[in-house]
Amino acid sequence: MTTTGRSALLGAALLGLVVVAVLSVGIGAHAIAPGEVVRALLGEGNPSDRAVVLDIRMPRAVLAIGVGAALAVGGVLVQALSRNALAEPGVLGVTAGAGFAIAVGSSFGLAASAPAELGLAVLGAVGASALVYAVGSKSPLRLVLAGTALSAVLLGLTLGLRLLFPDTFDVYRFWSVGSLAGREQAPTTVPLIVIGLSLLGAFAVSRQLNAIALGETVAHTLGANVARVRTVTLLLITLMAGAATALAGPILFVGLIVPHLARRVAGASIPWLIAFAALLGPVLMLAADVGSRVLLPTGEVPVAIVTAFLGGPVLIWAVRKYGAAPL
Amino acid sequence: MRTTRTRRLAGAIALALTVATAATACGAGEDGKAADGGQTRVFAADNGQITIPVSPKRVIATGYAVPALLEAGAPLVGVSSWKRGIPLFNEQERKKYDELAKVAGESASETNYEAIAQADPDLIVIGVPKPVLADIDIKRLEAIAPVVAIGPSVPSMWRELSRKQADAAGAAAGFDALKTAYDTKAKALAEKYKAVVPQLKLGHVGAYGEVAKGNFQREFNGSWGTNIAQDIGATYYGQVKVKGGGSKDVSEYPSIEELSTAFAQADAITYSVAADGSVPAPVKYVLDSPLWKELPAVKAGKVYPFRFTEAATYRAATSTLDAVDQAFAPLLKQ
Repeated sequence: MTTTGRSALLGAALLGLVVVAVLSVGIGAHAIAPGEVVRALLGEGNPSDRAVVLDIRMPRAVLAIGVGAALAVGGVLVQALSRNALAEPGVLGVTAGAGFAIAVGSSFGLAASAPAELGLAVLGAVGASALVYAVGSKSPLRLVLAGTALSAVLLGLTLGLRLLFPDTFDVYRFWSVGSLAGREQAPTTVPLIVIGLSLLGAFAVSRQLNAIALGETVAHTLGANVARVRTVTLLLITLMAGAATALAGPILFVGLIVPHLARRVAGASIPWLIAFAALLGPVLMLAADVGSRVLLPTGEVPVAIVTAFLGGPVLIWAVRKYGAAPL
Repeated sequence: MRTTRTRRLAGAIALALTVATAATACGAGEDGKAADGGQTRVFAADNGQITIPVSPKRVIATGYAVPALLEAGAPLVGVSSWKRGIPLFNEQERKKYDELAKVAGESASETNYEAIAQADPDLIVIGVPKPVLADIDIKRLEAIAPVVAIGPSVPSMWRELSRKQADAAGAAAGFDALKTAYDTKAKALAEKYKAVVPQLKLGHVGAYGEVAKGNFQREFNGSWGTNIAQDIGATYYGQVKVKGGGSKDVSEYPSIEELSTAFAQADAITYSVAADGSVPAPVKYVLDSPLWKELPAVKAGKVYPFRFTEAATYRAATSTLDAVDQAFAPLLKQ
């Protein structure tokens, strides 16, 4: 596909993102007429409607955009780094590390509030990925193996804590189902800034990742510092996936499915892949979040369940129609 | 290596034999006499007509049966963990609860069958809600001792069930005195508040169950947080959108977005707090929401915290009545 064609598609994806974002602010459990939504956005109208739109739906839409972009771009980077089409950010132990930290924290009564939960999840994610990197930094294969092994160990330990401490089980079972709901009171500014800066970092490192995708020897010839690029990329994946997991809990499918969808239009170009993933990830998250609000007559379905339902068939369709594209 | 394996195998066989022996020893006869010679009777429970000892000597209690049988002074040899009721135990009950072997966790799925067998009971009283019974291997327990399942389907059923649980454990004496004390207090409070409470359309924010991730719990008549206040004339208006059976017939978990519509008609709102008066996280989430501040009842200052909504026995519920009295006291001054 030509650069012009890709640019046009990127514009369409951006437009799609805007449309879905508008829908997510307008649709929810509390019915508000479109005109009232606009009035609420302007700071006018019924105070309750205004509170729903400005204090609940808007922060939630921003969160969906940030989390969706972080997981999707994190998925592109981890697949490029590990040269594994089935890799997603959780393969580096990020999700298991965050879950383990939540379980340990709640066992000691430290996960009693949203900020505390968020801090624990970040600590766990960073700690786990640092350990994985220390063990498996020599090669992509070792990295994936180390991440898988550490995830298994941490999941086992988390299960043990849940069985030993029933209160831990209670906190963990709510955290372990990823959701964007109920986060409007949590301090999300810092994690969202971290995600924003990490996305910029991903664009900055994308050309060198492109060179590495051609093979390490070729990359050296082209002047890329393979070790440094690998370290920076891993750091970016950890920051993005860690912040996203801390904000919304484990949402596993986005980081796997979006890179595959993006690859259909971006080809093997990492910069284009990142650009498309940064838009398609939020579209998927926002659409899933709207679905999570309207699927039940009362209450909500956690968004991670909706993404799994949406992502599964889409992944099967994509693989059957196009086959696995080379990484 | 082989020696270690042999020892482990021998240990496992010995443990299995111990469990089997305990199960055989505790089986009740069919002629009205238990295997140990004691008298038996047929008792109607959720799991059918069960033959149980007339005067059990070693009783296991789980779930809602724990506070009921502690209060009734049943001959307990093991209980499930029941943390939510600890603040409502008196000194004697608390001491007994701490001493007893814990044979299950807070949830039915955490039942420790081996620990139950080792406690060598002659009766097992399971006090969990009917839908949760599926998490328990009743057949496995029946191999140890007669099992009577007496659990609530709605929270307000503790009144009848606590009596039935105490009866099964042969500890019904004294039950009526506690019930009379409760009824007398409830009647006096109903008289005290008759000019204000029955006139109010009430709403209740609860703290139980699946409250998390952007939802809140709304409780209607007959639920945990509301049923005791009803005994003094309180009425919680409305009903669940979709009846889901059991406690889902009397409480629901709407999105926080629905807070303004859920309580728009409420003259006053009550909410569950912990025994020490602190606000649990699911309730704090609601109280901190910008939508809460816009509710008419909140603007009018008519919000009242309820302590001890975990009560599931008459003595504990008497403490709840005191707490409700304390919470509603400002209504008499308005």
